[in-house]
Amino acid sequence: MTDKTTDRTPAAARLGREITTPLGRGIKGLSDRAVAWIFIAPTIFLLLAVNIFPLIWTIRLSLTNYRANRTNAEVDWVGLRNYERILTDPDIWNSMQATAHFLVWTLSLQVLIGFSLAYLINKKFKGNDLWTTIIVLPMMLSPAVVGNFWTFLYQPQIGLFNYVVGFLSGVDPSSFSMIGDVALAPWAIVIVDTWMWTPFVMLICLAGLRSIPDSIYEAAECDRASAWRQFWTITLPMALPFLMLAVLFRGIENFKMFDLVVQLTGGGPGSVTELTSINLKREAFEKWRTGYASAYGVILFVTVFGLASIYVKALNKVKER
Amino acid sequence: MSFSVTEPTRIEKWVAGVLVVVYAVVTLLPLIWIIGTGFKSPSDAIAYPPKVVFDPTLEGYVNLFTSRARLTPDALEELGPPETWYDRITRQYDMVITGPSLYGERFLNSVFIGFGSTFLSVFLGTLAAYAFSRFKVPLKDDLMFFILSTRMMPPIAVAIPIFLMFRQLGLSDTHLGMILLYTAVNLSLSVWLLKGFIDEIPVEYEEAALIDGYTRFQAFYKVVLPQATTGIASTAIFCLIFAWNEYAFAVLLTSGTAQTAPPFIPTIIGVGKDWPAVAAGATLFLLPVMVFTILLRKHLLRGITFGAVRK
Amino acid sequence: MISFLDGLGRLRRGPWELVATVLIALGVVMMMQPFLLAAYTWSFLVTLTGTVMFIVVSHFPEDPRG
Repeated sequence: MTDKTTDRTPAAARLGREITTPLGRGIKGLSDRAVAWIFIAPTIFLLLAVNIFPLIWTIRLSLTNYRANRTNAEVDWVGLRNYERILTDPDIWNSMQATAHFLVWTLSLQVLIGFSLAYLINKKFKGNDLWTTIIVLPMMLSPAVVGNFWTFLYQPQIGLFNYVVGFLSGVDPSSFSMIGDVALAPWAIVIVDTWMWTPFVMLICLAGLRSIPDSIYEAAECDRASAWRQFWTITLPMALPFLMLAVLFRGIENFKMFDLVVQLTGGGPGSVTELTSINLKREAFEKWRTGYASAYGVILFVTVFGLASIYVKALNKVKER
Repeated sequence: MSFSVTEPTRIEKWVAGVLVVVYAVVTLLPLIWIIGTGFKSPSDAIAYPPKVVFDPTLEGYVNLFTSRARLTPDALEELGPPETWYDRITRQYDMVITGPSLYGERFLNSVFIGFGSTFLSVFLGTLAAYAFSRFKVPLKDDLMFFILSTRMMPPIAVAIPIFLMFRQLGLSDTHLGMILLYTAVNLSLSVWLLKGFIDEIPVEYEEAALIDGYTRFQAFYKVVLPQATTGIASTAIFCLIFAWNEYAFAVLLTSGTAQTAPPFIPTIIGVGKDWPAVAAGATLFLLPVMVFTILLRKHLLRGITFGAVRK
Repeated sequence: MISFLDGLGRLRRGPWELVATVLIALGVVMMMQPFLLAAYTWSFLVTLTGTVMFIVVSHFPEDPRG
């Protein structure tokens, strides 16, 4: 009654084959189609209720001047005016640039350090598993709590960070304040984010390096290719899809960065570290311009969604390896 | 020509090892410092230069779990000598313990909401993942992408309508509301991860069971579930860690009864700049995650890449 | 290049996804660049176009020739 022998392509075998329909007829109980829907429906329902319904509501709100702290006030339709105002507002543009600074520097540092670490760990020295696990610890912790305790490490004079920097460079540890200084604060958040998330890039790069078959290197050795050449022609290109995956994921995460930075600097001093999410939170939950903030949210959402589609494409590419 | 990527020389291994260990030690330093600060007295914590060697004390932990009041020397005398070790610690500062602090409650909220949402999202996720793995579902790729994309949404952007919705339904600042919210956020991860795990279980076992007269449900929980235990367990830990660490929704949607620890810990500092108490709170909160990370190390990569990289 | 244009013309997934990806990336860069306010103003439209395009074209058929 089964025709399992058909449709056994290698790809299907690797990704778990679907049970082909003929099986459904001869067996007891509900049909496969019914089981499938019973199994999937609760998930889809919950996601619709908690994600899609709110999203549609946000889009609706974004076309009004609604304020959530004045429920009795009259609500007017303002069309696309909220979008127009956000997209011409130099303050929001500024917070986009603060985000850009944060993104560019965290991504470059994390890729540089993460890839180097992965390269070193891939030398398979004794105990590399143990040290990898230790390095990974920061990224599993609660960003808000981490941000909070870094404010302690960043205290002028009493903070460990200032002390170590002072000790190494000879600068007086009480002469600078990482989170109080307009010039230093953007770097303070870059440092903590790099400390926290470099292991993520490292882990994925390591997987990339380990996916390169030894035989390719052995062939290159036979050709007497130099170490430099092997790195540029084999190691880097072969690990690149993994690197892209890591960069995209960190890019999306840092584009919507909130918890770590809000605890670390709260967007200050002034608004130099006010990343878009913090800016948005202020508009929505401090100034209570709900309609305006909704439009802002939609803009951020569309951007993240666009990046996420690229991410999923990259994900599938890596999966095929 | 001694260079070889596949077989590094002993010197290469040694150099690589030293560099990695140095990085690991530097990266661990902030964590060790925080754990250490939890055992310092308030004056040691703000000493300059920072104290590496100090007399350990449990003051931070006592302050973390209690609320205290200052008494006049006369009133203290009336009370008589301190009875317990924690009384003795607070009496040094002319204070008495007036009751427990909110920390215990907030910690339990984190536990309750964390486990509740983890259970729900793994339960629903397993069912959905099984269906996606084994059946022909129309628009499968689109549904899987939709599920993943919900994870990518900026929390603050969705928080506005969720805030309004919760207010309307009376769910704001309730455990149920937070559990449902975290379940929804975690579902994407659990469906993607579990689908990967279930994909790896050969279909033949189920087919044999079905031919033996099992119903589809029986085949699912008697054949598939037992084989997916490891995958389900590691998925559960990932969901738990996420719910445990989450801050943005928690700070916007809870303020009292259902507040979890992450928004609460930064408020411990108060006006007195009680860093040891904050450090103690952070240590207790972060330690379980560190332990789980070590347990999870084999599945770590899979968890953080939604199952894309399997190692 | 010719096969790329050919793919566009025959509504194949690969080349169109590339176009959408470039649009999204361009939109993100425009949004966060510090040089020109006008580019920031129009960035959202570019990203939106790219994103919608991506969703649509991911349903185009795969080119069997790769």
